Amino acid sequence: MVHFTAEEKAAVNSLWARVNVELVGGEVLGRLLVVYPWTQRFFDNFGNLSSESAIMGNPKVKAHGKKVLTSFGNAIKHMDDLKDTFAELSELHCDKLHVDPENFKLLGNMILIVLATHFSKEFTPQTQAAWQKLTTAVANALAHKYH
Amino acid sequence: MLSAQERAQVAQVWDLIAGHEAAFGAELLLRLFTVYPSTKTYFPHLGPCADEAQLLSHGRRMLEAVGVAVQHLDNLRAALRPLADLHAQVLRVDPSNFPLLIQCFQVVLASHLQDEFTVEMQAAWDKFLTGVAVVLTEKYR
Repeated sequence: MVHFTAEEKAAVNSLWARVNVELVGGEVLGRLLVVYPWTQRFFDNFGNLSSESAIMGNPKVKAHGKKVLTSFGNAIKHMDDLKDTFAELSELHCDKLHVDPENFKLLGNMILIVLATHFSKEFTPQTQAAWQKLTTAVANALAHKYH
Repeated sequence: MLSAQERAQVAQVWDLIAGHEAAFGAELLLRLFTVYPSTKTYFPHLGPCADEAQLLSHGRRMLEAVGVAVQHLDNLRAALRPLADLHAQVLRVDPSNFPLLIQCFQVVLASHLQDEFTVEMQAAWDKFLTGVAVVLTEKYR
């Protein structure tokens, strides 16, 4: 079990309270699909992903980004219990979605970059470290039930 | 490897860094060491807790090398040959560390440029830095 210090939890929660989940979620997923185009392999039914503007403006991308980031919000409520919290989602990503867990790391990294664009100097090295620890822990929790 | 558009994006980002290599480099290293402490094992000469002067000095050196790469996008291998030799023979930084440095670089750019750090800039810069990392580790074996 990953242990988060009080400072790490504070760093995460203080930013999270001010995150527009819909906006940031769409931005994160959109950037993932543009910067690492091979991740588009999971989204054949999302319609037009043919250009950067098509991807960033795609309503399915935005909706799914919001869904994914909302789930992240759940992680933040259960930072001491991520493996159990994500057990079902882990099975889903393995058995039904067939997603290589490497993608969870890519998405986590993208969350940090988008947060940095929004929070600028406030996204200090210590804040970045706390968020990196969280995204890594979530990625591991999502991979935990793979078989 | 990089399209004309991507080169333009890389040059645009570099314009913002040029002249501030020390500051950007220091912040890059500070983030790298804070977020990925194991990377400090490659910088024993900076001590357990690198001071600002050391970070600025080493940071500037690293960013100046990035600047060399930016000026030689058509011929990275030739331009970076001495550095590639250094990394293969002396430094031998495990290749898995380069993505960590690249991630921190993106965070530095994102936090400074904010909305101006467009997705195209991020994509081009990521592709460029990944290419540099390939060249730097290519002679490892």
